[in-house]
Amino acid sequence: MAALRDGDFGALQILLKAPSKDAVRQLCQECFSSPPAALGPLAQRACPGLAVSAQEAEQLVSALHNLTRHVVYRGFNRAEDILGLFPESFHQNLKNLLTKIILENVSTWRNEAQASQISLPRLVDLDWRVDIKTSSDSIARMAVPTCLLQLKIQEDAALCGNNPVVSALTVELSKETLDTMLEGLGRIRDQLSAVANK
Amino acid sequence: MGLLNFTRDPVPEAVSGDMHNLIQLSAQQFSALTEVLFRFLTEPKEVERFLTQLSDFATMNKISLGPLKNIVKSILLVPNGALKRNLSSEQVRADFIALGLSEEKASYFAEQWKVNSPTLTRLAVGQTLMINQLIDMEWKFGVTAGSSELEKVGSIFLQLKLVIKKGSQLENVYVELTLPQFYSFLHEMERVKTSLESFS
Repeated sequence: MAALRDGDFGALQILLKAPSKDAVRQLCQECFSSPPAALGPLAQRACPGLAVSAQEAEQLVSALHNLTRHVVYRGFNRAEDILGLFPESFHQNLKNLLTKIILENVSTWRNEAQASQISLPRLVDLDWRVDIKTSSDSIARMAVPTCLLQLKIQEDAALCGNNPVVSALTVELSKETLDTMLEGLGRIRDQLSAVANK
Repeated sequence: MGLLNFTRDPVPEAVSGDMHNLIQLSAQQFSALTEVLFRFLTEPKEVERFLTQLSDFATMNKISLGPLKNIVKSILLVPNGALKRNLSSEQVRADFIALGLSEEKASYFAEQWKVNSPTLTRLAVGQTLMINQLIDMEWKFGVTAGSSELEKVGSIFLQLKLVIKKGSQLENVYVELTLPQFYSFLHEMERVKTSLESFS
């Protein structure tokens, strides 16, 4: 996560050249969501709309990214906290506009950050089916129920960028295994309640 | 020989001779041999032990081990076939008599079959093919305190390690779930249990 740097607020004032408030809003959202590596191309796209040089566009995009990410990192949700970040000399109206836009988006952005944080592969879907085994090479006739569980697992989002790799794993459980598993899950639930009630 | 219950294929010629040879064993000796056989059938992995017990039996009763092994091979044809075809003890008894075993010994074996068949059936069912069988599940849960993007988080995560048997190897699969996903998972598993129970 990039920290706010000295030149950032100077660069932010380039937004005064933006054609509309909506353009500013749009750019804020794009700058937050973009990973650092994609800021270059984003700056190139923003350039024409702002009528600034390539270098200025890069500085602006980088500064907006740092500002929005910093606010989300600190968990600010009050106007005063965000306003307090800006230097005295900063353009008042722009400061108010930016604060307003950030406040509108901060909770969505927080969720986005949490959803994309590093983790073990995540469970994204679960399907199941119950079969009755009627025959096999070791027994000609039987009626044994068994469960097939399909887990859809997504690799770490950070590693895959926009193309998350989802793999499907199908697992078979006998009734005994399922009972043991449920016992374990029940214990997890009890422990979770104990922690929640503390 | 009439139609047998335990197999549809023709029985090897040696079997009749082997069954006939069992006449030489007293009721007590046959009972001891039967015990050794069923102990092996209920614990099929204990091959070493089985062979040792056979060898001891041969020594104690002054029988040559070679012929004894052949006899045992013939005898075992019946319980193996009977297990596959879910035969009753009556049918097992009838088959032994048809093969040439005395009524007394056939009845005795059939009786032992009846006693052991629940265990043997459970074993056979347990050997049935399972795809990616779930062997074990370990878990831990904790709280994410902070991250590079969020200074203070405080969200609960649950990590599961599933041990899965793929062919003959074990594979570990690690998965992370959020709290709502965990409750959803638990709910689904309870539904599976209800479904399995209704079919048992």
